[in-house]
Parts: sequence; C-alpha cells; structure tokens
Amino acid sequence: MNNFNIILFACNWGPHTAFQTLQDNGAEIPPEVKMVRIPCTGRISKALLFKAFEMGADGVVLAGCRPGACRYGSGTDIAEKNTEDTREILELLDLKKERLRFATFFPDDSDALLKFLNDFCNEIRLLGPSPVVATRKSDLKNSNKKQGLNKKEVAEVISIHDIYACQDCGKCTSACPLALMGKPFSPRMIASSIIAGDIDSPSVKENIWACLTCGLCYDRCPSAVNFPEFIRDIRRLLRKSHLEGHETHGGFFQSLMRTLTSPKLKTKHWEWLPADIRWDPQSKVLFFGGCAPYFDIFFRNHLGVQTSNALSDSLRLLNFFDIKPAILQDERCCGHDLLWSGDQENFLKLAKLNVSAIHRRGIEEVITTCPECYRTLKHDYARYGVEINFKVTHIYELLEREIDKGAVGFKKIDKKLTFQDSCRLSRLEQQADWPRNLISRLKPDQFREMQDSGSAAICCGNCAWTGCDSFSKALQVKRLRQAHDTESDILVTSCPKCQIHLRCAMEDPFLGEELNITMMDLTSIIAKTICWE
Amino acid sequence: MINAQDEHRRTKEIILTGFGGQGIILAGRILGEAAALGDHRESTFIQSYGPESRGGACSAQVIVSDDIIHYPYVKHPDILICMSQVGYEKFIGTMKPNGILLIDQDLVHPRSKKQDFFSIPATRMAEELGHKMMANIIMLGFLTAVTKVVSLSAAQKAVSKSVPEGTKEINIHAFNRGCDYGQAKLKGRAKKAIGQTGAIL
Ligand code: SF4
Ligand code: SF4
Ligand code: SF4
Repeated sequence: MNNFNIILFACNWGPHTAFQTLQDNGAEIPPEVKMVRIPCTGRISKALLFKAFEMGADGVVLAGCRPGACRYGSGTDIAEKNTEDTREILELLDLKKERLRFATFFPDDSDALLKFLNDFCNEIRLLGPSPVVATRKSDLKNSNKKQGLNKKEVAEVISIHDIYACQDCGKCTSACPLALMGKPFSPRMIASSIIAGDIDSPSVKENIWACLTCGLCYDRCPSAVNFPEFIRDIRRLLRKSHLEGHETHGGFFQSLMRTLTSPKLKTKHWEWLPADIRWDPQSKVLFFGGCAPYFDIFFRNHLGVQTSNALSDSLRLLNFFDIKPAILQDERCCGHDLLWSGDQENFLKLAKLNVSAIHRRGIEEVITTCPECYRTLKHDYARYGVEINFKVTHIYELLEREIDKGAVGFKKIDKKLTFQDSCRLSRLEQQADWPRNLISRLKPDQFREMQDSGSAAICCGNCAWTGCDSFSKALQVKRLRQAHDTESDILVTSCPKCQIHLRCAMEDPFLGEELNITMMDLTSIIAKTICWE
Repeated sequence: MINAQDEHRRTKEIILTGFGGQGIILAGRILGEAAALGDHRESTFIQSYGPESRGGACSAQVIVSDDIIHYPYVKHPDILICMSQVGYEKFIGTMKPNGILLIDQDLVHPRSKKQDFFSIPATRMAEELGHKMMANIIMLGFLTAVTKVVSLSAAQKAVSKSVPEGTKEINIHAFNRGCDYGQAKLKGRAKKAIGQTGAIL
C-alpha cells in the first residue's frame, strides 16, 4: 500500500462493468485506486474533475464508453472536452496534465482497464505526490466543531458596519439592480432581518448569496450603510458555520483559488505570453495579471472569450513606454473572489503568499489591470492584516501619466464606442474618471455613454462566481440593450469578468443575435491605436 | 571622429526667438545662468530689444562653452528655438547645416519639408496649466531634454532662482512638463527609428 490517491470515475455502463469483472475475478487492482461509480461521464463537470485535485487526488481517471457507445449520445463528447479543458488548467497550474486522463472501455474490456490502471498508477508514482494541500479536509474538521451561527459574531458584524444607522428609507432597494429586475430581494429587508436576529431564516440565507456586492445601494444610502461589505462579512460567518455558498459553475473557480493556496504549488501563470512582450526579472516594478488565463481556458468551448488579451496588451503598453516590468512566474490568484464569497481563511492564505513573493523580490510598485486585483491588493490585503510595502497602481493611472507627457497620438478607429464600468473601479474605488479620461484621448467615430454610467452604472450581473440566476441574466440583457441603444459597434470593458458575464447573456438562444455586440478591453483598444507622433 | 570629451567641450551657439511678451529674453537668461552657475561652464547672453520688443519679433542669443568665449554674438546658431513664425522666417536661414530646430508647433509652421525639427505645443500646454506666460519655461524644459545643452538640475535651479517668489513650484512644474515632453519625443524617435511606432509589434 502506498499513500497515493487515485480517483477512477467509472461510467455505469461500460467501464464499471469491466471494473466489476476485475473485482469478481480477484484481479490485483492497484490499491491507490478509488472507484466512484457515475451515471455518465458527460455529467462529470470540470468542477467535479477539479474538485478531486483540490481534495488531494494525485491522479484522476474519467472512464467512459467508446464514442458512439454512449448510452445518452453526447456523454463521451462532453467528457472529452471537459477533460481537455481541465488538463490545460492543470498544466497552467503546473500540476501537470498527465494527472488527468480520459479513457473509454467496453464492458468486456476488463484486461485493458487493468493494464490502463497499472500504467497510470506507475506514471503517477513517477510524477510524485500532488503538491496540493487538501483544503477541504481542514474545512470539514472545523465545521464539525462549529454548529450554527455564533450570535456574538453576527452582532459584531452588525456593529462594525453600523447597520443600526439604517433609517429604513428604502433607497437601497429602489437602487438595487436585482430588485429592479423583479427579484423578490431587498437589501433593506436583509439588513433589518439580520438585526432582528432572523439570520437563520431561509429567505435571508438565500438572498445573502444573490447580492452582487455592486455597491449601488451604498452609493445611494443617506446613512452610508456599506451593504456590500456587510454582506461579505455575513457570508464569512455563514461559511464558517459550514453552510455552502451558492457558487456558480459548480464552484470550479473557488476550488481553483483554494488550490492555489498550496505553498508548494508553483504555477506556470505566464507560459502563454506572446513572444513579443518584454519583461525583466530584475525590475522593481511588477505587473500583476490576475486569473484571466484560467477563465479563457475554462470558457473556451462555451463563450470563447479572450480576456487575457487585456493582460498582454497592458504589458505591450508598458513596453511601449519602455517599461519592462517583472512578472511573477508563479503568480497566484489575488483572492478577491474567495474574500467576497465568504472564504476569508483561504483569502488570507493567498494574500500572504502573494505578498511574501512580492516582498521577496524587493518590488516597489505593482501595476494591475484587473479592477478586482487592484482593489484587493491596494486596500483589502492591509485591511485584513496583511501589510504591504509596495505601491499599487492601476494601469489607467500609469497610462494617463505617460500619455500626458506628450508626443503620443492615437490612430483613428472607424467604430462607435460605449463603455461598461467595472463596479470595483468605478464605484468601490470611485475612479470612474480614469477610463473616461483615456477614452477622451481616443479617436473613435463616436463615444456615447449608456443610460446608466459612471458611478450609477449597472453591473455585469455577477460577482465572485456566486449566486448567478435568471435575474442576473435579465440584468445582463437590460445592460446589453442599453449598450445597443447607444448605437455603438464596440462595448469597451475594463474588467475581464464583465466580458465573461455579458458574453454569457449573448449566448441566449432566443435573444442571442439581438444582444450580440463586440467587446474589447480598453487596454486593447489603446494598444491597437497608440502611436508615437 | 569626435570623441565624447570633445563633444562636451564644444561650443553651442543658441538663438531663441519669438514675439515680445513670451518671455524669450528671460528664457535666454535662465539658460545662460544654468550653464554658468549650475554647470560651471562659460556662457554669454545677448538680448535683442528695440522696436521689436513691443509685440514684434524679439530674440536672445546665448553661447555655452567650456572655453572662454571671445565674441558673444551668434551669427549661425547650432540650436534655434522659434516661438513665432516671424522669428522663424528671420533666423532659419542662419542656422548651421546640422543645427537643431525647436518650435512651438501651434505657432510655427516650417516651410521646408526637408528640415528636421522638434516640436512641442508649448503655448497650448501652458494654457492647460492655466498660465499662458509659462510657455517659455515649458520650452526651456523641452530644450533641456532634447539638446542636453545644460544639465537638468542646473536648469531647474536656474528656473527657480529667476522666477518671482511664490511661483517657483508652478514654474518648475511647467519646466518638468516640457522636459517630460522632450524625453517622450526622443523615446518616440528612437522607437520610430527601429520601426516601432505602435504598441503592437
Ligand atoms: S438606503 Fe441606507 S438607510 Fe435607506 S434603507 Fe437602505 S440601508 Fe437603510
Ligand atoms: S450591492 Fe448591489 S446587488 Fe447587492 S444589495 Fe446593493 S445594489 Fe443590490
Ligand atoms: S453570467 Fe454566465 S459566466 Fe457569469 S457566472 Fe453566470 S453563468 Fe457563469
């Protein structure tokens, strides 16, 4: 017996029968293999495949039926794609794609299955144990101890955010985009229920996960009740008491981010970077990219977004101004989504790992392009006790400074533009002017704001991969219609996630064409048109 | 071949020209002072007033050198700074064949397509700063960055010594704006020379 953990997801029809034959015949199945019987490989999502690794698996086999033999028609096809995507994400994490395999077997292929399992186990032994620290185990242990919500902690959160200051005026609810979409959802009601001690009521528990933490209510509240931060802290308490969050995509992204808390995991975050981009390991200026490369792999078969363009084009713009920044080859997620979906414990692990990696290199300034990374590095690390001794600059600030020196011009763009604000930059950080100042330098055919813009903008419909539902979809449809009302050709974005979530709404089979609009990150537009005069 | 030492010792003859009220004379004086007091080199400064000083063309002549300067008048400038079309017309013919021409791009339109020049919207930038009369200081920053005829620190010191009390900060800001612009221009030129005009290569 060895300490390896290998999970075999065996489809009920072909592989499971083969596996049973092996068991019936007393065949020597490698002891590290743990078989999980599944109805169809097509139902094993990327989230489930990846979760096995998050929970400490050293290798995973998804065993299904031969193409054409799938009982449900499309299972094998879907499974192949899911495996391929997950393998690429494993590769980007430097967890090695060899740890995940898809294979097909007929019911009478028992010998082939045994040989496959033996070969696979040998391969995994050569690769060695996975560097991932199984985060879930400690989670489970904790949750056994803490049953139910601690009332004192709830009271603390209420008083930290001064929820008692609420005057019950209802402005928040009338500003909340979810409530406006008709969702039976009211920030004011949530606040008063929690104050009244009703945190355990089903409606509160449900609604806590729906809030977009977009900050529109906070913007309008006469008593400055910071509802998004209040929600964030209540989520933390709910999670601590082992209540699951309403994670989208089966919790894939939270799994990914928790996996990134393993100190021994060295990612290959920048492997995909185009060859024309120059960077300098000695530089005291660091470019922090964010998770876009993972998103692009995850969504490539569905949404086909290319959000990493914002990272490569930001780097190109730095190069344009002769700035060759350092990059962290093993960059980790900034932790934004864990923090905002209530997993403070793992957020802190990421924060500490990132900050120590940055400090180790003697970095003086960190440049970000993702508004979430910006917000998190600039404010939330220190707020949660992880002190930083570097400056955090958003690429828009830097571009403004450099372009303002002069001698730089912009080529004409034969397109009409409108702009999607990111809630983190435009509202939480109150910097709606930054992108606009840059846009005003561009030479498009036309720039027209959407009906709701700047600090009043409607968000893209999801935050922190939590609580996406039909009302989020309706919200996105409304936003895209506003974009179309400006008669623009390009919806300029400033956050990779806005592109993802809005693109998702464009996939609607009934409205798709009507909503379709080209999206491009502001940095990409600038990179395409900027020139020395 | 000229080695770096000789290049440095070399004399630079400079004409600044514009119309009265632009602060051309002051700019010339600051330049001369920067060279002498800041960089500890030799310099001379001649101002040309006369009928021109009330809104007409006016000019300043500055020589900067490591050796003693025997004759302070400039016949053929190495560097010509023009902040008016009239000044440009008057002096362009006198510039040395490899001379460097610096212009305010909104006020001067060079006639010859062959003539290379460095341009800056100095007056417009000064207006953006809210102080139109600081175009000369912006031009001085630009001149310092592009020609390096005086050192940056010497020029900054001379600027803060020569401007009225209480306006030092804004003048230094104006100077730095011109300087940044000049450096950006040089960067852009170097990039263009190797065929990199845009960000996407
Ligand atoms: S806007 Fe502020 S004061 Fe008004 S109900 Fe909402 S939280 Fe209370
Ligand atoms: S943060 Fe946004 S989604 Fe959440 S309650 Fe406030 S307005 Fe509504
Ligand atoms: S909008 Fe689409 S991509 Fe975004 S969380 Fe919801 S389902 Fe996922």
